[in-house]
Amino acid sequence: MKVKVVSIPVQNQERALTFYTEIVGFVKKHDVPLSENNRWLTVVAKEEQEGVEVLLEPSPENFEPAKTYQKALFDTGIPHTQFNVNDVQKEYERLINLGVTFSLKPTEMGTVKIAVFDDTCGNNIQLVEML
Amino acid sequence: MNYYQTEINRIRRICYSNDKQLKTVIAIRNFIDNNFDQELNLDILSRTHFTSKYHLLRLFKRYYGLTPKQYLTIKRIDESKKCLTKGMKVSDTCYRVGFGTPSSFSTLFKRKIGLSPTSFEKEQLSQCESAAGL
Repeated sequence: MKVKVVSIPVQNQERALTFYTEIVGFVKKHDVPLSENNRWLTVVAKEEQEGVEVLLEPSPENFEPAKTYQKALFDTGIPHTQFNVNDVQKEYERLINLGVTFSLKPTEMGTVKIAVFDDTCGNNIQLVEML
Repeated sequence: MNYYQTEINRIRRICYSNDKQLKTVIAIRNFIDNNFDQELNLDILSRTHFTSKYHLLRLFKRYYGLTPKQYLTIKRIDESKKCLTKGMKVSDTCYRVGFGTPSSFSTLFKRKIGLSPTSFEKEQLSQCESAAGL
């Protein structure tokens, strides 16, 4: 058994694809049309293109409880998931310059430094640097 | 301040209030990161950081959830993956990342990655070829 895909619920797949590729810097991996306007749409980290894929899943558009859960997490500031970076401060500055909003600025938390941004698709995403 | 920020502050107060201990374990981890290719053991780490080896072992495990030796192995395996992906020979990779013998390297690599170093190298090569459309 292997971990190949993790999912992020997104309110709009096209907007999510733009955000995760053009702003975050990920690369599109799979884009398969499914029913209606839904797609099996995954992205991967540029420097780890054979690594775990992130599925941009349109669940909030199609399943009411997913929408409710996503909103509850977002409103309380809880990250849906997290991505590792080498330097949180540097990544924070890069994303701020691209217009990204942070609910938590770079903050040391024991042996890690974290920051949390709004992915514009309904989620808080946490950046983590191991200290 | 939202709920998450409040929780972060609460947990930090409970778990991470000892700055001296934090500085020590972070310095030890950085030392391992910068010297993973050398011979490293608890005696060396404790001598360079002026602390008893048992205290060091407890602290590291408490803050990182791993022993220094486990962390060192993960670091060496990660670095070996980079070397193998670049096409370096298995035996050269073994010594480059600080393992003592190719057999101990291969055994640990297979246990952690699920493939032997040779199979991993072949898999990387085949992925590069398919990405290049060959």
